[in-house]
Amino acid sequence: MRYRVFAVVAAAVALSVVVATATASRNKTAQSNTLTVWLQVDAQNGWPQVVAAANNAFKSSYPGWNVNVQYQSWGDHLQKFDATIAANQTPDVIEMGNTEMTKYMAAGAFANITANKGQFDNASHWLAGLKKSSMFNNKLYGVPYYAGSRLVTYRTDLFKKSGLKKAPKSLQQFESQLAAVKAHDHTKGFTPFYMAGTDWYSALSFVYDYGGSIANFSHGKWHGALASKKSIAGLNAYKKFFRAAAPKSASKLNEANPAPYTVFSQNRTSAIFGPGWFSCCTGKKYTKVTGQFVMPSHQSGKSMPGFLGGSDLAVPQQSNSQSQARAWIADFTNTANEKALQAVGNIPNATNLLNGTVNDRAAKASWFVPTAKHWVDVENGNILRTMLGQILTGQLSVKKAAQTASANIAYTLNQP
Amino acid sequence: MGRPRRRPLVWRRVVNGSVPYLLVSPVVFVLFAVLAYPIYYLVRISLEKFGLFELIQHHGVYIGLDNFRSVLHDQIFWHTLLRTVVFTVANVSLTIVGGTLIALLLKRLWTAVRILLTVGLILVWAMPPVVAVQVWIWMTNVQNGVLNYVLTTLHIGNYDGHNWFDSPFSSLAMATTLIVWGALPFVVITVYAALSQVPHELVEAAEIDGARAWRVFRDVTMPVISPILYLLTCLSILWDFGVFTQVYLLITQPAIVPANYVMGVYLWEEAYFKTDYGRGAAISILTLVIVAAMSIFYVRRMVRVGEVA
Repeated sequence: MRYRVFAVVAAAVALSVVVATATASRNKTAQSNTLTVWLQVDAQNGWPQVVAAANNAFKSSYPGWNVNVQYQSWGDHLQKFDATIAANQTPDVIEMGNTEMTKYMAAGAFANITANKGQFDNASHWLAGLKKSSMFNNKLYGVPYYAGSRLVTYRTDLFKKSGLKKAPKSLQQFESQLAAVKAHDHTKGFTPFYMAGTDWYSALSFVYDYGGSIANFSHGKWHGALASKKSIAGLNAYKKFFRAAAPKSASKLNEANPAPYTVFSQNRTSAIFGPGWFSCCTGKKYTKVTGQFVMPSHQSGKSMPGFLGGSDLAVPQQSNSQSQARAWIADFTNTANEKALQAVGNIPNATNLLNGTVNDRAAKASWFVPTAKHWVDVENGNILRTMLGQILTGQLSVKKAAQTASANIAYTLNQP
Repeated sequence: MGRPRRRPLVWRRVVNGSVPYLLVSPVVFVLFAVLAYPIYYLVRISLEKFGLFELIQHHGVYIGLDNFRSVLHDQIFWHTLLRTVVFTVANVSLTIVGGTLIALLLKRLWTAVRILLTVGLILVWAMPPVVAVQVWIWMTNVQNGVLNYVLTTLHIGNYDGHNWFDSPFSSLAMATTLIVWGALPFVVITVYAALSQVPHELVEAAEIDGARAWRVFRDVTMPVISPILYLLTCLSILWDFGVFTQVYLLITQPAIVPANYVMGVYLWEEAYFKTDYGRGAAISILTLVIVAAMSIFYVRRMVRVGEVA
């Protein structure tokens, strides 16, 4: 009896193994003509019609092929991508944030597509900020997808009430406008301007506005540049601006908690500085009185260079369908699709497609982080956030904080 | 039945002798299949330079004990270890003391109230940590958190716009409240069960002899429930030392800095965020050694309990 039970169990196990392998092998043959594409959820929510158009165009040039678009989230897509690299199961196309590219290009994760550049629409006009993020050692590893610029989102009604009808022409003018709003509104907890003190994407725009920068590459080495005269002038301007208009309690906060648009939607501020899409979430009550303008420079009539966030599309080195992957990317980023992206509030990937919208105007003056292999360690080490917190709380002088951060950045970027 | 009996006898003895091994073999097989290769791989990677580049190449470069050396020379490792020990001591003592007090309270309550309280505890137990973290994030929100509102309304101080995640101490204290809250139900219910083992006559006799509540607890109740408390303490230490979810999700990414690392978070940051799997593996092995050393007490007690039984 015991043996019979044992035999039955053994047979069941053996059978299930056979069934499992049979199913697995069937899946494999079905997948060989499938292109796997990883896009961020932004595409799923914001422009599914563009994805569908690209898939249709691709399928008509590659009959018999399927496109499997898998949507990822920003928080964990790199960890998942690493896991697929380890298992030799990478997608054929992956969307990468522009600040995430360098580390992967340097490690050899993506296919070199320099020779195929002509395949993509508007390649000679790609936005400088995005193109820079797709290149490593003068080779091209990614195709610019779209960008998002940084804008001031403000309450038109509160500005009007304070007698202000026009967008400011200079930083000084903006400061005095905010002071005027403050003079009109004494609600408890209200400040005319809100941004998280350690939000370096926004704060370092002041540094670039004064001609400073984070780090520069020369003679085969990275040199920290935050302690330069121009950078310090920018940091001083930031400190002055923040202290005058933003809440002191936000000095050490980050932009994730609370989100600036939440503060805005609660009627606690009249202006926020951040990505253009912040206008999405300013609250039902204030949708009609939400306006946007490009952050003005300290030089009258110019705009402050904004951090150009954005995405690139790359083909992982391990993909077995690289030419199909390139073809899909070419379809996805063709002129018509880029215009469709522009229509839903994004910045298209090329300067010849820009028109006069506030987003597009902001994209004209932009800055980007150093394209160094170890840049990501500077971000993860919170070097910039620490410096900004020290400056705003007065824990260290601007010069001292900038010198420390600059030395730390140079050390981190020059690691082997 | 006239058949030769010798062969079946030997056969039966072999079968009977191997039954215990046969019975335990599925467990051994599963444990081996699930753990052996990962542990082998972990040890191998810990002896290699294994970053993103090596991940793509599918093989690391052997560097001996360099990863261990670099971790043990890293100030952050020692600070994190010390912080984790303090954090664990705080969490475990709060859990065990709080849990025992609530269990004692349960004994004294009306049945209806006791059932209500028990249901509440079970609900806490049933709440997945990830969901609980979200609720905590809402409650401690800088602008609209109910915590700031209540403290300000009760005139305990001006907490309007107070940031609970401003300093590492405050951040980890928030994580402690969440961890202790989540760990209480198990402790309360287990201690409550142990309390039912305390002979009623003994308590009564002690009370008749004039013993106060504390004396009764110390000399009558404690000796009965102390083995259970010991095991609960051991288990809590093991759980709290390796805690990750609550700390990582509550403090959230841009605010996670070396000053608020605990071991689990440190390991994750090194291995997955900085993609240095070699160093991550080394930290993981060091943590494993520490936890294994601590669990000796637990295993020894379990074995002793087994012998008594």
